[in-house]
This record gives sequence, structure tokens and C-alpha cells, in this order.
Amino acid sequence: MSSNHHSSHDETTTRHRVEGPKKHIVTFVLSLVLTLIAFAAVASGEINTAFTYIILVGMAVVQVFVQLSFWMHMKDKGHLFPTIGIIFGIIVVFTMVIMAEYWVWW
Amino acid sequence: MSSHDLNGPLPHEPERATLEGRNKILGFWLFLGAETVLFGTLFSSYLALRHNTGDGPTPNELFQLPTVFLATMILLTSSLMSVFAVQSLHQKKVKPMIGWLLITILLGLGFLGLEIYEFTEYIHEGHQMPTSAFSSSFYTLVGFHGAHVAFGVLWIGLIILQIMKKGLTVVTAPKVYVSAIYWHFIDVVWVFIFTVVYLMGKVG
Amino acid sequence: MTAHAHAHPVKRYRGLMDWLTTVDHKKIGILYLLAGALFFLIGGLEAILIRIQLLKPQLAVVGADTFNELITMHGTTMIFLAAMPMLFAMMNAVIPLQIGARDVAFPFLNALGFWTFFFGGLLLNISWFAGSVPDAGWTSYVPLASPTYNSGHGVDYYVLGLQIAGIGTLLGGINFMATIINMRAPGLSFMRLPMFTWAIFITSALIVFAFPVLTVGLVALMFDRLFQANFFETANGGSTVLWEHVFWVFGHPEVYILILPAFGIISEVVSTFSRKRLFGYSSMVFATILIAFLGFMVWAHHMFTTGLGPVANGLFSIATMLIAIPTGVKIFNWLFTLWGGSIRFTTAALFGIGFIPTFTMGGVTGVMLAVAPADYQYHDTYFVVAHFHYVIVGGLINGIFAGLFYWWPKMFGRTLNETLGKWFFWTFYIGFHMTFFVQHFLGLIGMPRRVWTYLPNQGFDTMNFISTIGAFLMGIGTIMLIVNVIITSFKPKNATNDPWEDGRSLEWTIPSPPPEYNFKQIPLVRGYDAWWKEKMEGHKEMTPSEPVGPIHMPSPSFLPLIMSIGLFIAGFGFMYDKLFVAIGGIAVTLICMLLRSVFDDHGFHISEEEQEKGVHA
Repeated sequence: MSSNHHSSHDETTTRHRVEGPKKHIVTFVLSLVLTLIAFAAVASGEINTAFTYIILVGMAVVQVFVQLSFWMHMKDKGHLFPTIGIIFGIIVVFTMVIMAEYWVWW
Repeated sequence: MSSHDLNGPLPHEPERATLEGRNKILGFWLFLGAETVLFGTLFSSYLALRHNTGDGPTPNELFQLPTVFLATMILLTSSLMSVFAVQSLHQKKVKPMIGWLLITILLGLGFLGLEIYEFTEYIHEGHQMPTSAFSSSFYTLVGFHGAHVAFGVLWIGLIILQIMKKGLTVVTAPKVYVSAIYWHFIDVVWVFIFTVVYLMGKVG
Repeated sequence: MTAHAHAHPVKRYRGLMDWLTTVDHKKIGILYLLAGALFFLIGGLEAILIRIQLLKPQLAVVGADTFNELITMHGTTMIFLAAMPMLFAMMNAVIPLQIGARDVAFPFLNALGFWTFFFGGLLLNISWFAGSVPDAGWTSYVPLASPTYNSGHGVDYYVLGLQIAGIGTLLGGINFMATIINMRAPGLSFMRLPMFTWAIFITSALIVFAFPVLTVGLVALMFDRLFQANFFETANGGSTVLWEHVFWVFGHPEVYILILPAFGIISEVVSTFSRKRLFGYSSMVFATILIAFLGFMVWAHHMFTTGLGPVANGLFSIATMLIAIPTGVKIFNWLFTLWGGSIRFTTAALFGIGFIPTFTMGGVTGVMLAVAPADYQYHDTYFVVAHFHYVIVGGLINGIFAGLFYWWPKMFGRTLNETLGKWFFWTFYIGFHMTFFVQHFLGLIGMPRRVWTYLPNQGFDTMNFISTIGAFLMGIGTIMLIVNVIITSFKPKNATNDPWEDGRSLEWTIPSPPPEYNFKQIPLVRGYDAWWKEKMEGHKEMTPSEPVGPIHMPSPSFLPLIMSIGLFIAGFGFMYDKLFVAIGGIAVTLICMLLRSVFDDHGFHISEEEQEKGVHA
């Protein structure tokens, strides 16, 4: 296969820019903040139930999106099929959640 | 086909240097697609059954937010540690990589310990598998996640041993990368568990 | 290329040991075919017994309990242990060849997938000898399958057998998706893939997203039965409707998992034997994708009478009817492929052409069933039985037989006897219509499905009699196929590279059967119908995309077999509450995983000189 040409380079770190830890720390802090908001919304007990639900789901969705993109590298190149796979999985799960909420007890 | 010289210098992104490596990463992502549906089904059964507590304790009586918060923090931090391990992998710094991986599994063990403690507490409060439909679906969902954490700890532990013995090669690099993806996925599932099970359980 | 891997000599096995340790996709394909055929015969025998019992009113050839066991095992065996493996046989035998690859992406997992399927199927069928057979129907609805109403071990065999077999299927799905994405020959872009490869790609995606749902459903049922959980125990807040949902969220995609590969086979066969390019290739591709997508959105049409309410019933009714559109596109495309072609009526072509009207009839009754109010009349009658046998036998099994006759020379190097093949086709085809056509009317006049017997003079007598005669004809047809296979196996291995002479895709460019490395040089693909294109331009072979060189191969391994035996043992442990046995079995599997991870597989190389010595697959 075409993988052999790499070995002719010497240490490749100079040729390929290796990403720094910064964006991962930002992701971490962002996740932390989102988690805190969710926990605070419940712990305070002062927000009405429906609105708490919206906050909770919103925070979870944003956090998962951020982690999938940065920590799991889904925003990087060459992730077309992983993205299709995860999106299709989410669609299936979404229909099943509707099923669980509306069509098991009615 | 894939006989990349194991003794030569490692290529950039060694996890993708061979066809085997690329296959492994792609196949693992497809597996995660399947895992998404697996956990999705567990979540939907939990959602369908969570109000049916019968004579057993309700979610609101049962859950302790501080414990859950601590568990969340531990898992979130361990996820950051494993992303650092992948960064060390890309910089070909083996020793720091092993260090990050070790911290990852130590935090994973901490999470598991907390979960076992939590489950024993619940059992003492009369919340067992046969108690109600809520309890069955709760233990199955959270237990499946816990089993994934336990498997991850064993797996990453095994990979650390292999790295120490064989060094970082185009064969071991994909294993580190894939296990990191797995670990992040476990964290992503936990985000929904603490949201849907614990926080929504508290709200009612 | 370095000679690094030469430093690790690999033990190569012969005879039986070779088959037990093989990771070669062609051999695994043959193993799938053998195991699938075995279970097909068992399932067929069960079908014959069912039909004998229903030959006349008020017979008691088998007891009522046995009858329940027979219908349950017939359905489960045919779908999970006969149809799926025979499809996997063809996927394994053909896909790597069609995409110009030397093997699948994960040869080891491929072997593991076969052995887990096989031991799962074995576990399920051992129930006949253990004296407690699953008898809650192939859908295993609760509360009938719950510990309260089914206290024996029958349903445990169903749950654990399918769970283990399901692991194998999921692995296969992931494997073939990765193979088709990553291992295509140079120039073989997605829109140049043969239609069968496309169908398998989409089928594999369906497997990946549908089988986990079954896994969870079976886990929940297992927990209810073994650990007193309450998923489906209404007394403790569980829901029986939840099982129906979970089962059909898996179960509906499952029927597309079965039929899409048949669509792919028919596309290949119809195009080859009309000597024409497949009509509307890109519309075929998009129709396949659309069917797969809609397949996930229609599960509740199996549950119209559950009482989900008019809104849900209406939505699922419309979504179901929508599927008729892409399916219709496919049917018209096959007809237009045949139109004006110079058709050769080989056995494969007969099955391919016979498929079209039969499957269309099954599709039409499907749309009838999709009308929710009318479904209240059809539900649980023989009309439903007729419908799904028209799509599964008339669709899938016809497709499999077409594929078997078409690819047999590629798999075994010998062409099946055509005369006997045509006799087989007509016997089986006529028998099939005799068996199931009348069942539409049996259903419409009110004969419920899954009944042990019926009273005379309700208008059921004659049609049931005809139906049973038809079943015997299908049985005789199947015997003809077996005779054909046996006779052929004594003939010389003389099939050429392109035995039908009209082959269009890459599998027809290499020897029959192919050498274990498939392609000496990976070909360069220059268009759709790669081989046909080269032939039309007067070329005798494909342009290679690489120089001749040593070929790297994966080593054979015992681990897949042992891992599956571990799961098999664990299954028994769980069932009979011997926790030690269960843990021991799982430990065997985990230790094998550990060994696989720790000891790298360096594989071995086949040198140019060995390649010259030629074929020995």
C-alpha cells in the first residue's frame, strides 16, 4: 500500500502541526459549565418543571455535540461515515423515544 | 499490504498509517453507531417505565445529587485525560501517554467504586431489580453503562501493558486511539444518564 | 515491502482443521451455506409437519403443544438460522470479489460471526432434545412468553440462542460495511458498485442499527425470566406493549434485511441474463436507500390492533404505503432491464424472472395490510401468513436460489445441472403458489393463523388440502436441488472464469473457484459493469492497478470457534441457573479476546512463485 513513503521522512513532528491542548481544555470547561447549569437548574428547585426539562435537554444536547466534535474528532476530515452512522443512530433513537413517551401508555 | 516497517520512525498519525488501522477505526465507529441504538433502546424502555415505581421508592426519594455530581465530574475529567493520551500519541511521547492512560483508568475505577456504593445504598433502601418496573429498567440502563466502564478499564489496562511491552507501533497506535474514542463515548452516554435518569428523576 | 512477516512462520492446517480455523471469506461463505442449508431443511421439515397437521379438519397428527412449538421453531429457524446465513453465505462468497478485494476488512471477526451464529442456532435447536421447546411464536409476545405463563425453559432457549446468534449477525454487518467503504479497488467509486454490493451495503447498515434493539429486547426478556425483573410484568408496572414496540422496531428492519439482498441478487441476475445494463442504476440505488430509511419508520403497522389510536395508526399507515413507491421503482427497473434484452432462460434467470410477479403480489397484499381499518379484518388470519410467505419465500428464497445457481460455479468451480435445475424451479414455484395463494382466501373467509386444527364444513377444507399438497411439491423440489448438488459435486471442476459468458462484474475476471488471495493483482476499475466494459472494448482481462508481488494474508485461528463455544456454554449456565457455568463460559470468551489482543497476528506472505503454482482454495 501507499503507506511506505512516510518512513522516508525523519521525525515528522516538524512537518505536521500537532494540535495543542487548548481546544480540549476549552471543551472541558464548556462541558463543566453546561453540567453545572443543568445541576443548578434542578438543585435550585425554583424553575418550573417544563422549563427545567427544556434546560436539561438543551444542556445535554450541546454538551454531547461539543464532545463528539472535539474529543471524538468528528469535526476532523475523513469522518463522513462516522457522522452518517451517528446521525442515523440518533434518528432511530429519536423515533424510539417518541414511541416510549407517547405510544406505550396512551 | 500492511507490513509497515515496525522498526522505522513512526509516521504522522500512526493510527491511520495502515489499512488495518483505518479499518479498525472505521469499524469501531460503526460499532458505536450500533451502541447508540443499544443505549437508545435502554433509554426508551427506562422512559416508558420510569413512573411505575409500585411499592418501591420513587426516583425523587432515591437519588442523591451530590454523589451523581461527583461521579459526573470524575468521568468528565477522565474523558479529558484520555484526549490528552491521544495528543501524546500524536506527538509520539510514549511515557506521558501511558501516564494519561493510567489516570484515565484510575478515574474510571473511582467512578465504578462510586456506582457500586450507590447501588448498595439503593438495595438497602429496598430498591432492587424485582421491586418495580422503574427499578428493573433503572438497573439495566445504568448497569449496562457501568459494565461498559468496567470493560473499558480492563481494556485500556491491557493496552497499557501492551504499549509497555511492544512500544508504540502502527499496530498498537490504533488500539490506543480506538479505546479513547470508546471512553469518550461512555462519557457521552453518561451525559444523557445524569440528565434523563438523575436530574429528570429529581424534577419528577 | 519489507520481509518482516516472513520471520513468523504460520501453521497452516488441512482437512477439517482447515475449516474450523479458516478466516478466508470464501470458505466462511461455504460454511454459512452448509449451516444455513441444514437449518433450512430442519425448518422445512417443521413446515411439512405443520401442513400435515392442517391437511384435514380435526386431525391430531401432532399434539396442540407440539404444534405451537413447530410454528415457533419454523418461523425462528427460517428467518434467523436459514435465510440470514444463506444471505451471509452469498455476501461472503461474492462481495470481496465484486469490489476487487483480497478479503473482508476483519477476517477474524468474520469467522467469529459465523461461529457465534452457528452455536446460537445449535443452542436454539438443542431445545428439541432438552424437551422444552420455545412455543410463544417467533415474535415471542409477552405475557405468553413471560415467566408466569411460560415457566419451562423453552423461551430461555429462544432468548439465549437468538442473543448469541445476533452477536454474529451484528459483527457481520459491521464487517461488510467497513469492507465496502474501505476496501474497494482503485476506480471503483460508490456509483460504480454492482447492485448486489449496494444492496449488501445498505443491508449491513440496517443490521448495525436494528440488531442492537433486538439485543436489548432479549436482555429485558431474559432479566424478566431469570432475575425477576419487571419490564413486561404488568402487575409490577411493566408494559407488554413495550415488548411489541421493541420487537418490531427491530423486526421491521429485519424483513428489509432479508429482502434487500434478494433485490440485489435479482438485479445482477436479470441484467446478466438479459445481456443489458441494469435499467435506471442510480434510481435503484436511491430506491434501496429510501426503502431502508423508511423501513425504520413503519414498525407500528404490525401493531394496528394494539390500539395505539387513530393518529399513530394513520401515520404508520401512510409511512408504510410510501414504501410501495421505491419498491415499485425497482420492479419497473427490472422489467425495463428485461425489455428488449436477449434473454437466456437459465435456472438462475427463471428464479430471477419468477421473483418479479411473486414479490409484486406480496407487495400488493402488503399495501392492503397497511390500510389500518382493513387490517382489523386481516390481522392474525391466514391472509397475513400468505402475505409474508409471498415476500419471504416468493421474494427472498427465490432470490437466494437465483443467486445460488448464478454464483455456484464461482463458489465451487462446477456449474449446477441446468435440466434438473429447471425441474426444481417449476416444481418449487408451482408448489409455492399452490401452498400460499389459497391461504389469502383462507384468511379472508376467517381462518385464524397459528391454530392447531379447525372444524369441518366452514369452507376451509379444500383450500387447506390444496395448500398441503403444495407444501409437498416444495419439499420434492428441495430434494431435487439436493440431488442436483450431489450429482454436480461428482462432476469435474471445469468452470471457466466467466462461466455464463455474460458476466459483468469483477468476480467473473478471476478463476472459479478463486485462489485464496482472490486477485493476483488488484484490478483497476474504469466504469460501471467493470468487466463488461473491458470485454466490449476487446480486452481479455482487467488492467492491473499494482505490480505482481508477495501477497499478505491473515493467519488461520482457533479462537473464533472457542469463543463461540464459551458463549454457548454460558448460555446453558444462565438458563439452568448454574452461575459458575455461566461465568466460566464468559471467561473462556474473554480470555480468547485477551489472547487475540496480546498476540499480534503477523499473517504470512504468498510469494510470486507460489502464486504461479495456482489455484488451491
